[in-house]
Amino acid sequence: MENRAVIGIPRGMLYYRYETLWQVFFREIGVDFIISEPTRQDTAERGSALAVDEACLSLKLFLGHVDALVGKCEYILIPRINSYGRNQELCPRFSALYDIAINTFRDKGQKFLTFSIDSHKNETEQDAFLCLGQALGVLPRKAKKGYETARKEDQRLWKSKIQAQNALCSTDGLKILIAAHSYVIEDAYIGTPILEFLQRNHAAAIRADIVDRENACKHSPELSPTCKWELSREILGGVLQRKDKVDGIILLSTFPCGPDAMVNDILLRKLHDKPVLNLVLDGQSGTAGLETRLESFLDIIRFKKGLL
Amino acid sequence: MKKEAFLGVDVGSISTKGVIIDEENQILASEYIWTEGDPIGAVKRLTASLEKQFDKENYQIVGTGTTGSARQLVGAMLGATIVKNEITAHAVGTTTFHPDVRTILEIGGQDSKIILVENGVAVDYAMNTLCAAGTGAFLSSQAKRLGIEVEDIGGYALRSQHPTPIAARCTVFAESDLVHKIQMGHSKEDIIAGVCNAVVANYLNNVGKGKRIAAPVVFQGGVSKNEGVVAAFERALGCEVIVDPNGHLMGAIGIAILARNAEARRTFDFGIENTDFRTREASCGRCSNNCEIICVYKNNKLIDSWGNRCERGQVCAEQKTIS
Amino acid sequence: MELQTKRRVAFPRYAEYNCAIKYFLENGLDVRYILQPPLTQRTLEIGAKHSPDFVCTPFKTTLGSQIEALEAGADTLIMTFGACRLGYYGELQEQILRDLGYDFEMINLTEYSTGRKKDYLRCIKRLNPKVKYAKVALAAAEALRMVEYLDEITCLYYKNCGFEMEKGAYRKAYSRFISALYSASSKPEIEMAYHNVQEAFDKIQTEKPAEPLRVGIIGEFYTAMDAFSNLETERKLAEMGVEVHRWMNISHRLLHYPGDNNLGVKVRDFCTYDMGPNSTANIWSAKDYAERGFDGIIHIKSANCTPEIDIMPVLQNISRDYKIPVLYLTFDAQTSDVGLMTRLEAFYDMIAMRKKVIR
Repeated sequence: MENRAVIGIPRGMLYYRYETLWQVFFREIGVDFIISEPTRQDTAERGSALAVDEACLSLKLFLGHVDALVGKCEYILIPRINSYGRNQELCPRFSALYDIAINTFRDKGQKFLTFSIDSHKNETEQDAFLCLGQALGVLPRKAKKGYETARKEDQRLWKSKIQAQNALCSTDGLKILIAAHSYVIEDAYIGTPILEFLQRNHAAAIRADIVDRENACKHSPELSPTCKWELSREILGGVLQRKDKVDGIILLSTFPCGPDAMVNDILLRKLHDKPVLNLVLDGQSGTAGLETRLESFLDIIRFKKGLL
Repeated sequence: MKKEAFLGVDVGSISTKGVIIDEENQILASEYIWTEGDPIGAVKRLTASLEKQFDKENYQIVGTGTTGSARQLVGAMLGATIVKNEITAHAVGTTTFHPDVRTILEIGGQDSKIILVENGVAVDYAMNTLCAAGTGAFLSSQAKRLGIEVEDIGGYALRSQHPTPIAARCTVFAESDLVHKIQMGHSKEDIIAGVCNAVVANYLNNVGKGKRIAAPVVFQGGVSKNEGVVAAFERALGCEVIVDPNGHLMGAIGIAILARNAEARRTFDFGIENTDFRTREASCGRCSNNCEIICVYKNNKLIDSWGNRCERGQVCAEQKTIS
Repeated sequence: MELQTKRRVAFPRYAEYNCAIKYFLENGLDVRYILQPPLTQRTLEIGAKHSPDFVCTPFKTTLGSQIEALEAGADTLIMTFGACRLGYYGELQEQILRDLGYDFEMINLTEYSTGRKKDYLRCIKRLNPKVKYAKVALAAAEALRMVEYLDEITCLYYKNCGFEMEKGAYRKAYSRFISALYSASSKPEIEMAYHNVQEAFDKIQTEKPAEPLRVGIIGEFYTAMDAFSNLETERKLAEMGVEVHRWMNISHRLLHYPGDNNLGVKVRDFCTYDMGPNSTANIWSAKDYAERGFDGIIHIKSANCTPEIDIMPVLQNISRDYKIPVLYLTFDAQTSDVGLMTRLEAFYDMIAMRKKVIR
């Protein structure tokens, strides 16, 4: 039996952007992988104990996921993404992520693998996959083919996700646009409860970040001319595209997200024609206060529309 | 010939501690009282009580040290020969009585700190940043909310079988979470035990972050009196946590030892109960920093001032003496 | 008459570098430079009042300083570009100031920092359409020289002022030097200021032990360098009798920087990649101080500074491997002087006692 390398993928931060790409790629090149379990309270607690106290909740959750994989796989995959191109940067935390993990888990004897994209070094997404293949001892041809298959699958899935969001936009009933990073809104511990709450209260939750990314980034300067963070630009573009089709907007961020702290302030200053709720998730504050705020936000919108 | 003795006074935001020691670190007198927001009054009561215990026939105080958040004010009052911060005082005091200590955990009224020691010398330390979550003030305000005396917290915590998880990141979040948990019907015992766990978790996540906590571990400061927190620390660290019966006096003892080691000598003969000490806040106003300058007056005579950020403020203080 | 028609340009206060910005703008671009008052508690308070909650402190400080510049009569504000959130300061600050009702022209360098020469020239033209490029180049060279002198003298100042025999002698000479730079309007005046301060420093008698305590300062590009923002950490520490070193300044980091790759290879054992703006420089700097046997390192940052938070796990490992204490200081709008003094005193006591025992 051939000796298979086992990859561990932490279910946090950019996982939500790359899940299809990574999973299909590893399957295609024949490498076993495991993904850490969805976030629970103990993930948050472990992460808080490991991360620098002042770090953002998303990093804390990520380190909690890494911790859950330590010792359970040969390599843990940590993406390191600096930028996709000019004015297509990521929060510096994504540049640091790999080395944060290395330094935090230095004494654990755990091996790590990187997935590095950096436009300053002309490293593309394809390069990142080819390097990954190389590190795992896979022939370049096989890795390239694996990447191609993964990319097609990812694009197909992404298109259907966009269609689903567009369909939601034209439904009847209360519609709320959520401007949040995928790793915030899709996280089982901090994000999903909000989606579930909206559902229970008969409001359709529409995601700003699930859009045609290229088109969104093209239009983002209309809301914020010098915003250079790719993930924020996608959300800005998504807000621009869908804000007139919804009844209210929720800006959802984790405490204290660097880009969101500023971009959301710009949004609060520029979105005058729709009710906006700015929610900052602390992770430990419990859902009690949160539900009250969400409930009153929905009430205000319904009241304004004469539905209450 | 009287033997030499040294007075050490540690004035914190919650409690005021004082000791008198001799050449051999023997405690000749000690006292622990509440500051009650009035450091001047507290020190007067403290010295009065120390005077009663003190053998004036055979000893003479020749050096005085002050530490704690009001060290400067009290130093001016007592004519201290040395004024030092509480981290140094605690490290010196503790290593004198526990020469092999590696880690000192300290949680006081508003501050918490960790000191790492190697071969009897402090090699690294950290203090709490930004907020008061996980300090004594937090613990007592939560106890009050539950209608429990601070002294009883330990007993309640130790009776708990299933400590309630309480958010510990910050005081505001913790309080709202606590209220929520009370409403949900958790027992007082479990909530109190949860608060103790939260204090420890917060301490380790904030002050203790990135520090290698090696045994022997000594825990002191006002909160070390709380058995619930001691037990929570032992659970979290997986080792014995030593609480010295004189732990609450360690800062005062440390500063007394530092007074002894220093060269300066000045006799102290008590009798400050009837002296009038007053502080006055002056606003400098010479630039928009508007530094608050604290002036200390002894019987209406300015004896010290501080608080200015630049020389402009010093001029202010000097002018005050003239007028 | 001409004075009234000139643009009145301002830039937020940033350590003492405004003297060079002033020199460049006045001599090279022939505009009037408006020097707002130095940073004070009031600057920070008005800045914080109008800023979003979790933004880094320099955003609040520079916003306050922009407001004070407008109050002082500026009609044009310049904001810099930057690799981290700094690059977004300009847009959000302009929006906040407009929402507050201020009338001004904003020159946000982020809009021009494309890496293309023609965009920089476009920016210069906007400031003054009748500009002469030769004059701009000359003024730039002279202003950069001023920055080099300023950094060199500042290094000397903090290295030695803790050992002066006559208290305050260094500070007096240093302040005189700073004033001279602010009033300089020609190259000979810059040279004269530099010459005078060197002479003055040479005359100051010092008493320095053979092996003084040495502490290296590292940290965030604004807060570690701006004395107001770090509540004069460097001076407070120096005056306890410490040689204070800070490699990080504009000369080292921007004018003569060896490059992230060159410094990066020296810290490979601690990190594989560049971890963000100034990260490589700071990690290298910390390692360098540790290797040179310094007694301690102080890491200075503002609250919510992402890149500086992210290098802390690396600094913790450097501290362990080299057995060098690192004091982490975070400054925000509410940081008190008293709390800082307690931490610095304790740090001093610790490294002083440690040195005695180790020797």
